[in-house]
This record gives sequence, C-alpha cells and structure tokens, in this order.
Amino acid sequence: MQTKNELAKIVGKDYVSDSKEDCTKYSQDQSLLPPGMPEAVVWPGTSEEVGKIVAWCNGNNIPVVPVSSKVHFHGCTIPKQGGVVVDLSRMNKILEIDTENRLVRFEAGVTWEQLVEELAKKGLRPIMPLLPPGNRSPLTDTLEREVPTNIVYDYGEPMQSIEVVWPNGDLFRCGSASVNGFPESKSRGANPSGPGLDFYRFFQAAQGTMGIVTWASIKAESIPRIDKILFAPVDDLTYAMDFLYRILPRRIGQECLLLNNVDLAAIAAGKGLGDFESLCAKLPPWTLILVISGLLRRPEEKIAYEENFLSQVLKHEFPKMGLTDNLPGFPGLGRQLLPMLRKPWPTNVPYWKNSIRGGCQNLFFITKPNQVPAFMDTMETVVAGYGYPASDIGSYIQPIEHNRACQVEFSFFYDPEDVNEKAFVADLYFEAANALLNEGAFFPRPYGALAPIIYERAAGYTMTLKRLKGVFDPNNIMNPGNLCF
Amino acid sequence: MSIQKQAYKAIEIVAGSKYTSDDPAVCEGYRSGPGGYESGLGYEKVMTTIPGAVVMPRTTEEVSKIVKICNRYKVAYVPYSTGFYGPRSHCHVENELLIDLKRMNDFEIDEKHFFITVGSGVIYSPIQQEALNKGAYVVIGGGGAQASAIANLIGDGWSPLSHRIGLPHRRILGTELVLPDGDIVKMGSLAEGSDPFWGDGPGPDLRGLLRGFTGLRGCLGIVTKMAIKTLPFQPEPLVPTGIAPNTALALPPKRVKWVNFQMPNKAAQVKAMFEIGKAEIAAAVTKVPLFWRAIAKAECKEEFWEIWGKETEETIKNFFIVRVLLVGFTSEEQMQYDENVLNDIMAELGGIPRPTKPSDESWIKNADSAGMWLMCGSYVSVDYIIESLTQATQHGESYADLKRKYTPPLMPDNGDPGWFQSFELGHQGYSEFLVYWDQDEDTNGVDHFYLETAKMNIRERFYTSLLGPHQPLYLTGPKYGPNYHEWLLKVKDAFDPLWVCHPPVPLSHDDFVNRAEWMHPLKDWESPEKLPMPKW
Amino acid sequence: MRKDEMYDTPKKKVALDVNDLNNFVYDMDHCIKCKGCYWVEHTYMPGVNFSTRCPSNLWNDFDSYGAFGKMRIGLAVNEGKLKWTDKLLEIIYADPLCGACDVGCKRNLDLEVELTLEALRVKAVKDGAGPMPAHKKIAKNIASKHNQFGSPAESRKKWITKDINVAEKADMLYFAGCSASYANPDIAKSTAKILNASGNKFMLMKDEWCCGNTLYSVGMIDDARELAKRNIDVVKASGAKTLVTSCAECYRMWKVDYPKMLNIATADLGFKVVHLIEVADEAIKNGKLKLTKPVDVRFTYHDACGVSRLSDPWTPWSGERGWMGTVSPALKRRRGTTGLYAQSRNILNAIPGAKFVEMPRIRENAFCCSAGRGTKEAFPDLAKFAANHRLDEVKSVSAEVLVSACPWCKSNFNDAVKENGDNVKVMDISEIILASVEI
Repeated sequence: MQTKNELAKIVGKDYVSDSKEDCTKYSQDQSLLPPGMPEAVVWPGTSEEVGKIVAWCNGNNIPVVPVSSKVHFHGCTIPKQGGVVVDLSRMNKILEIDTENRLVRFEAGVTWEQLVEELAKKGLRPIMPLLPPGNRSPLTDTLEREVPTNIVYDYGEPMQSIEVVWPNGDLFRCGSASVNGFPESKSRGANPSGPGLDFYRFFQAAQGTMGIVTWASIKAESIPRIDKILFAPVDDLTYAMDFLYRILPRRIGQECLLLNNVDLAAIAAGKGLGDFESLCAKLPPWTLILVISGLLRRPEEKIAYEENFLSQVLKHEFPKMGLTDNLPGFPGLGRQLLPMLRKPWPTNVPYWKNSIRGGCQNLFFITKPNQVPAFMDTMETVVAGYGYPASDIGSYIQPIEHNRACQVEFSFFYDPEDVNEKAFVADLYFEAANALLNEGAFFPRPYGALAPIIYERAAGYTMTLKRLKGVFDPNNIMNPGNLCF
Repeated sequence: MSIQKQAYKAIEIVAGSKYTSDDPAVCEGYRSGPGGYESGLGYEKVMTTIPGAVVMPRTTEEVSKIVKICNRYKVAYVPYSTGFYGPRSHCHVENELLIDLKRMNDFEIDEKHFFITVGSGVIYSPIQQEALNKGAYVVIGGGGAQASAIANLIGDGWSPLSHRIGLPHRRILGTELVLPDGDIVKMGSLAEGSDPFWGDGPGPDLRGLLRGFTGLRGCLGIVTKMAIKTLPFQPEPLVPTGIAPNTALALPPKRVKWVNFQMPNKAAQVKAMFEIGKAEIAAAVTKVPLFWRAIAKAECKEEFWEIWGKETEETIKNFFIVRVLLVGFTSEEQMQYDENVLNDIMAELGGIPRPTKPSDESWIKNADSAGMWLMCGSYVSVDYIIESLTQATQHGESYADLKRKYTPPLMPDNGDPGWFQSFELGHQGYSEFLVYWDQDEDTNGVDHFYLETAKMNIRERFYTSLLGPHQPLYLTGPKYGPNYHEWLLKVKDAFDPLWVCHPPVPLSHDDFVNRAEWMHPLKDWESPEKLPMPKW
Repeated sequence: MRKDEMYDTPKKKVALDVNDLNNFVYDMDHCIKCKGCYWVEHTYMPGVNFSTRCPSNLWNDFDSYGAFGKMRIGLAVNEGKLKWTDKLLEIIYADPLCGACDVGCKRNLDLEVELTLEALRVKAVKDGAGPMPAHKKIAKNIASKHNQFGSPAESRKKWITKDINVAEKADMLYFAGCSASYANPDIAKSTAKILNASGNKFMLMKDEWCCGNTLYSVGMIDDARELAKRNIDVVKASGAKTLVTSCAECYRMWKVDYPKMLNIATADLGFKVVHLIEVADEAIKNGKLKLTKPVDVRFTYHDACGVSRLSDPWTPWSGERGWMGTVSPALKRRRGTTGLYAQSRNILNAIPGAKFVEMPRIRENAFCCSAGRGTKEAFPDLAKFAANHRLDEVKSVSAEVLVSACPWCKSNFNDAVKENGDNVKVMDISEIILASVEI
C-alpha cells in the first residue's frame, strides 16, 4: 500500500496499481519460467517520472522490473524478487524522424507496428528481425540485439544514442545525445558512443538489469523502389551454406534467410496456400529466401547487376541450387511473403510461432555457417534421446553481415495448457542447450534457464560483469534474478 | 632511476632479462617528445617523463603477471603499443614501468568469416595486405598504417573508408583484456570458447569498458588480443608501384577507382554527401582540405610553403571537392552502376569531375599519414567527431573562427574549415579539425586553443572527441550526460582502486591545468581542490 | 600569408655537416615516432612476415635500438644528459647504418636521420668513448697494412690471374677493395673478366689502400678524411676518368662519403664513380657484353645498401633555418631514389636460362645483412641474426641462389649458410654475369 501511495505521488493515482488483477498480468509470459508477482505496477508518462520512480525504489530496496512490450518470450519481465513493474507503454511517442540523417528517435513504449507505419510515411523503414510481434517494442528488440533479416549493411548495429535512467534514478544520455540541451543542439544523437565510457554497451542485452532505457535513436533505411523475392528449395544444407559463402560477401541481397518446412509452414499457413499440416508435408526440408532490391536511384540497374552475378554463379558454380523467382509447387508464396518480411506480425492474429500448438520455446545461438550442419546433427541426437520427433522442430538460420556468422534458432512447440508437456519441453530445451554449448555454440543472450550455465562457463566475464554491476546498481534493484545478478 | 627493486626482480623473472631493462639509455629511448603527435606542447612537457623501467612481454599471461606484480608493489605502469599517439601513451609519473607490447604480434586470419585476430603489437599495413590477399580490406585509421590496430580501435579508428563502417566499435569482435589489477577477462565468443568470431555478450557488453568516444588511453587495463572484422573487398590485386617517396597502389580500373568532383559551393558539396549516402553507393566519400593538395604536390617543406603561400581566403572559400572511392565489390557491372548513380547526383548538383590519378597514395594502405608533420613539424587533431553529417558540416566553421585568434602559433591556413565526410552511408558524419605549429616557438597559444575548443563545443552544443582524458574531466563532465565523469571515475575506482594503471589518467588533463601556470587564467569551471585520486 | 599570422622566427645557421651534432638537433627534436624508419614502406608492406627493414631494432626490440629511439637518445647525448656506457655504445654502434631509416623517414618528412646517426658516432669518438674495440683494431690494420684485415699489403693483388688483362693506363680504374682482394677474390676476378669481355680497358691503383669505409662509418672522421685525400690524389694522378668498383661499400664511400668529408659535391670529385652494375648494364644495352650461356638456377637478388638507398650523389649544403623549420637556400634532399635498382634488374633479367624471383623486400625496402661498415666485426651476433633473417626470406621464395652486389654481403651470407646448412648458394652479381658470358 505504501509503495502504491508513494508512486502515486510521482505519476498520479490513475497510473499506479497494486490490484491482484493488474499484477497478475505481469506475473507470467510466454516462456516456460515459473510465475512471479510484483507488488505494484506503475505506468509513467515521462522520463523524469521514471527517474523518480527508480530513485524511490532504490532508496527503499524495492526491485524495479522495466517492461516495454506487450508480449514477452524469454521471462525477462517476470518479477523474480517481487518489486515494482515499470510499464513504459504510455511513453509511446515517436519523438523525431530525421529524413536527412535517416534516423528515428522514439520512446520505449512505441511498437513495431507504430514505427513501421510512421517511417513508411516518410519513405523509410527500420531494419527488423524476422516477423516480430506487432506490439513488441522495437527499442527493446534492438537493445536485446535481435538478429535482423537484412545481411547487406556493413555497419552492424542500428542503435545510436539512448536516454537512460540509472539505477539511482539519474537521467542520462549516452552517445552524442549527451550534449547539454539535446535535442536543441547541433548534435543530432547519431553516435551511440561515449561520453567517457561506452555506457550504451552495458544496456545491450541487459534485460533491464543496468537501468531503464526511455528512448533510443536508431538508423532508418530507405524503402527500396523495386524488390524481387527469390526462393530455392534446399535439402543439402552444406551446399546451401557454400552458396551463401559465395554470394553474400559479394553484397548480394537485402534480406536472406533459411527456414525449414515447419517454420515456413507456420508463417505461410492460412493465406490461401494451405493449412499448416499440408504445407509442412509439401514444403522442401529447407527454403532459402533471398530478396534483392533496387534502391532509390537506377533501381533496375541494381537488380540487373545482382541478377547477372547470381546467374553466372548458379550456372558455373552451383548448378544444383534452384534459385528462382518462385518456389515450385507454391504459387503466390512470394507475393505473400515479401510484404510480410517488411512488416511486423499483426497483433490481431495469433503469433506464427504460437499458431501450431499454442506455445513455443526458442533456443537460439550464434555460430559460423559452416558449423550449422553439425549442430543440426547434434540437435537430432538430443531429441532422439527424448523420443521427440526431429520433424516437429521449427528451424531458422539467419545469416549475419556477409555471412561472417549466423544465428540458428530452434523452436519447440507445445500446448501451454499441458503441464507435463511444458516440463518435458523445458527439460529437452535445457539438455539441447548444454549439448550445443559443449559443441561450441555461442549464446550471447542468456535468457532464463540458460543464464546459470552460460555464466558459469564464462566465469571471468561473469566476475567482471558483477563488478561493473556493483558500480551502477550496488543495491541490485534492477530486475534482479536475471542474467548473473 | 628505476622501479621498486623487488618488483623489478619479479618482473624480470616473468619476461626474461633479455626483455626487461632499467638502463638509462634504454629508458631514454622511450621519451615521448619532443617531436610527435601532440608533442612539444605543455601537456607533454609537464605531464610526461621517461620510464623507470621497460618490459616487453610476449603473452597475455605474462602481462597479467606483470600487472599483478605492479599492484603488489604499487608500481605505476602504462601500456604502450607503438607510442605513436604521443604523450598520452607515455609515462606520466616517476619510477613508472612502461609495458611495451610490441612482441605481442601474433596474427591469424579467418578468410571465410572475414576477421583477423591480432595482438597489440600488430600494426595496420601488414593486416591490410593480408586482408587484401584474401579479397578483404580493413579501415586503416587516420593515424596511419603504423598505428597498432588494437590501440587504434580502442582509441579512434576511422578513415574515409568508414563511409561503409564508421564506428570502429562495430568492428571489434572477441577480445581479451587484462584488467588494471591483473585479472583477465575475455569478451564476446572468447568468454565461452576459443573462437573470437563474435563480439558481443554474453548479456551486457563489456566492450563498453574498452573505450568511450574516444579512448581511455590505457587507464582501464590492457587489451592483449582482439579479433577485428574485415570487410569483403573485390578480387583484383592492388599493385604497389614507384620508389619512395613516390609510391602508390595501382588500382584495377574496372574494380577500384577514386573520382574527384569540383562542386559549385558548400551546400552542393554537403548535399552530394547526403545523396551518395542515400543512394547507398561508394566505399569512401570525403571532402579534401585544400592544403592536402599542396602536401601531395610538394616534395619538401619549403615547396609546400611556396605552393600554400599563394592560396588566399578566397581560394579556400571556393574550393569544394568531393572525393569518392568506387569499388566494384560485386562485379564490374556493379561499379558501373555506382558510377552512373554518382554521375546522376553530380549532374543534379553541378559537380564537375576533375582528373584523378588511377592510384591510391593515402587511404587504402595509408602510407602517408606522417606527412601531416611535414608542413610545420608539429601537429595534432584537435577534435575529431563522429556524429551526424549535419553536425559534421557545421562543426569546422566554428573551429575556423576560433582558430584565427590563435594564429600564430597555429599555422596560417586562410580559414580552412577542416575536414568532413560521410560515415555509415550517411547515417553518420565525421568532422576533424587539424592544427599545425612549430614546437620551437611559443606553444602556450596552442595549449589555450585546445582548451578553448572544448569550451566552444560545450557552448555550441556540439558532440566532440574532447571527452574523457583529452580535456579536463571536470570541465566536460557536468556538460555531457550529464555528469558522465562521475560514472567514469566510479568505474575507474572499482577496477583500479590503487590507480596503478597509467596514473593520473583519466584526470591527467585536470592535473595538467592545475600544474601549468599559463593555463590558470583559463580555468573557469568547478573542480575539487584535491583531485579524487591517489597521489603518485 | 600575412605577417601578423607568422612569428618572426630568428634564423639559425645549419649545415649538413656531421662534424657537429648540433646541426641535427632540429631533426632529432622533430622525430614523430612513426617508425617509418623501422617498417617496410607501407605501400609495399608484404604482410605480417618480413614487415620490417631495421636490423638493429629487429635484433633488439627495445625502442632505443631503432632510429626513433636514437633520435631521443641523441638529444640527451648532445645535452650531456647521458653518460657514455657500454649499453649506450652498443645502442649507437649495433647498427649497420644501412639507410633504411633515412629513406623510410623521408618518404613523408624532411629529417636527416642517417646524417644524425653518423654525427652521433663522430661525437662518440670525439668524446673518447667510441668506437668499439673491434673498430679500433680495424683502424690499426688500415694504418699498418692498408687493409681492414691486417693481411700483408703485398698480397693485395694476388687475385690477378694470367687470363686477366690489366692495362698500364686506361680511362677506367678498377678499385677492388679489401674484401674482394683478400676474402672474395672470385668477385675481383669475375669483375675484371667482365670488364675485359665488354671491352672496358681498365687499370688498377699501383698501391691500392682501403677506402676507409669502416673508419668513416664508426666516427673516426679525421682518419677517414686523410685516407680519402690520399686515395683521391692517387686516382687523379692516374688520369682515370672513371673509378669502377664491385663493392657496394666502396662505391658508397667513394661516391658519397669522400665528397661529404671534403665538403665538395660528387660531381666535383674529378672523376666518375660507378659500380660494375652500371658498367655491365650499359655494356649489355649497347651489345658489348653478350649473355649467352644458360645458367640453370632459380635465384633472387639482395639490393645491397651501398648501391641502393645510400647511393644518391652528395652535394654539400649550408644555410639557415627559420620559420616553421624551413631552410634556405633551397635544399634538394637525398631520399635514396637513384639506387641501382633498374640497372641490376636489367642485367639479372637478361641472364639466359635462369629464373629470377624477387623477395618481398626489395629496392629501398631491402633488409640489410648488417655485415658492413664495421658492424660484423663489433657485433657478429647482429650480423648473423640479420643474415639468417634475410635467408628466411630467400627460402620463402624458394630461391636456390642468392645474388648480391657486395663482397661483405657475400661473406656474411656465406657464413650463415655454412653454419645453418641451408641449401642456398651465395653469389655475387659479377659471378652470375660471368657464368653467362662465353669467354
């Protein structure tokens, strides 16, 4: 009660609640992690309010759990030691779209749907991961280093300056937005680095444990004037990887990804192409999807040189790679998929990963593309040991930046109402993660049950991370119980 | 003069007597100045000294052991890769150990996955050639081919080639850091295994400790190993030609080409950069200060002044060049496409192509950065900022105005407003202001100018490289963040409570202003009477 | 530029005169520690292997052993701040003065690194600290036997065989030098036979004395100057128009350091100084020397310092230095651009049946074998180290034969090859030319 009253002084009584109903909404998410209850939920409207909330909580040893999105998959926002959920959904303004410098600055509560729509009005688009839920926060997804489907830009990270609230409640700008008086300044916030230290790095993939990010500036790209989507059925992953090693460093393509039949069926189902079961049965084991684009100037010429290059390589070096403008047996797939790749998943339909059984547990890691086939074997071995059909697993391979690396994501689908099945999938997931880790898979985002095993393996890193945390959050109030904190 | 005896003995056992010395002649060879980057100035004269001893370790483990010994016996130490960055890379206190990292020169290349892995002793030009041999390239920082790649990437690390990948932070992969107390921390994929191919994680990114914008100058540990991204290039060889001093890389004309355009005015020059970025073409896009053309033509200093002496404010004002590097990454056809698009843009803006040599003297192997010292003998880049292209194109003019007040001792340059270019396909922009003077003259004006620029940036609300140790922390701290200095100092205290790692950085510039009498009239900001650091 | 933008800098007198280290304070003061003196010139950088061209600093990694370290040490020496110790002497003298640093620095700047290093040695000798004991021994040998080895003076011409025609009087005088005369007679013989075969009539000095290379190089400038005067007088008295040598060290001495010590220009010596490379190149071009016998080897070529970056002719200069360090009158600096790179390669490419492969470090980037200028005698370990390092490079291009243009190089490489048991034969350019000529 006292918490609620104190917080009401900051945000007004309409924007704080400690009712069971409200708190329960934050007690669980779509992960397999056990529930946890906050003692209150607060909806601040400004960065200053966020600062005051955090300052008060810090002074009273009350954990703070920041929440920006409406849907969560990894358990990061489940309060693990009680505390206050700080829901930033009211802070949903797009603060500026700078078309000259091609950046967009927006608050944590802005959704993908909002962002894509507003940018489109100016002929711009964000770089997106694969089909994020429309009501997730792009700020969070960018901060959490979700891997984009776009492979062609050299610069790696879209994130620029951010505004944060430190665990002591201080407001701070990282990067070139730290200039006094920003945004009324010559600096436009285009540089994430500094001042002094690269503080922005501490917030990346931190799951809210280092502070709260209230707004971020990210790069926006132009919308291509011409797009062509190409497909290739793949049954030999090694051959496909060799093909990608050949073409992606030559800077071919915009989006490039590989989906197995299960994942592609889930995405394409119910759009006039058949239902999930029939698609699953008919689709090739893997489908390579490659979008090539003509940009703002002479778009046809760009398409032409990419196509010419591809046709030479296919003819002389990869004759078995059937890369064409359609996936044989699936007329209209391209027309469906192409716009989907540039938009988030609509919020009025079940998320594609949940459309199969209702629930989905994802296991993802980073590796080198030539190691992917071996990891596929490892996974098959693990699931065989559990009697789980490998053909039920959704698989997605996302090449990264000229194919220097890739993310592999496995999806295990389950019925969220079935307690036994959930426990089974949790065990399977854990064992698979360990097996992959032992084979050299790299997990840069240790969510939930993965965190203890990752941080044990990375002991030196963990020790240093804890020392750093001790500087910024000595009371460990920021989302405790996550990562190694 | 040496370091604490027991420490010296223990260090000698770790590195071997062949690689440890406190001989006065050996130590004298490690003096910072009087010549060099930022040398011959007040900071160098007041703040630097020669080491009490020098050690040259070979491995990360040796570095860790040496650092632990320094912590035990309270011996200050400074990490040193080439010493090219001037006074800030040298000893600042008496009886200090200089840890010369040049023997840490391991090199590996993963051609398929576009990265190289190096120790701190590896410099850029060998890396570039190894990369070029495998169809890749790296961005050699403006400091030149002679800079240690690691030191450059945790300090600065950009060039016109940053048009495609500007922030060096984006190029840092798995990294090994010896913390100020000697513990080793491995970042990125090295945290979990032995392949350094991936840079971030696990979880929050500790690469944030490596630098800020710009570097920490060695006060938060020693980076001993780093994997660095290379970028896909094109397959034709770039052939070195000529005999020094007139060497250059001959460029394969259908795959690599520089083009210079004369623009009608500054607005067109700036717009061209924006348009090229939006068109997502080219490998480098930069303006060229007029006096660089004079340097390129001159065979010696005297000839430079003969050429430069003929220029006026008028000629500067009317010299607007956009220099573009086209690379056929995909194919000859793609380079043709890039060139067609470029010509379209130039036609729209009235840009006229000028004859351009089919060779590269500067940026790909960066053999000529030392030429910055030719004109006057002394040089420093006062400010070099990655921000937006909008800021970049405005920044230099503020500098040029301030600079007039300090000429002399600064070189007469007819109001040249510095250098700017596009970064990350126009998402960012870069501006740099370089100044030149002769250290044999009265250099107090240069010291003053340097500090005044930090104040100017604050006043005009520019982002700047003059943060961290580069200018007084108590001047810039309250104005950026705000109060970034408090967090920086807290991190420093947490990881180096004894301040053995390169003292008194990051408070070195605050210390300098306190100790240099001629700086006192400029001190108009608050700072603690006693700077919050142990006394050395 | 307006006057109000410039300081009225007082002018200081300065000369390119190694007798006084003060002439090089500006140069030492303005070294920027870029290590252009250490690294292969970056445009030509071959990769992580063979990336350097400073033998001293590769042999001993401390900065002090590179030119950039020595510039700082030189300032301290000049100001009397450093005592002459064994260590300081080693730093100054474990250095073949190969000129890589000078040329490397001058790729971008105007600093006189080589002259500074020479002046430092003159100072060491003047201060009574230098040269090294081994050098003093050489000086004694020269004084008593007129050769570096201390071998009998009367044996100097033993290399001449009956099939060699030496003229009584000719326009060309062949200066064999100590090493070719005593240690590598095959070089002298081959040279003489090439001169004969190409119709170049030549005479010898009646009494050939050492050129004084080591004396000058270690800072014994007064002794070297006396020897130079004597030698020049002998050549002038002979009426020779051209002095030819097949020793790169002698070549450099005669062409550059003799005029330097006498404060005259190379052009004012009174005769031309050429290396066999130049004579042979011209003779092949005008058909006077025919290379027709196939030589079945895979070979590479080592650009000896004396015929490369150190060989630009000398012009004395003195004047003033003022604002921003500019000097007047105009000074065209020697940057090592006129080395005999093309001429030697013309010859080597004309050897029939031979496969000529270049090493990664060639021309002005060549890695000195570190035998010359008294270095091997005082620091045999450095000379061995440098030879072995260069031999690694020879082996990296799978060359079976290493060709050079200096007997000191040949001796040093031979010693290393013998000790290592390398499958590499060391030849002089005179020998490979002769092998392809029908006599």
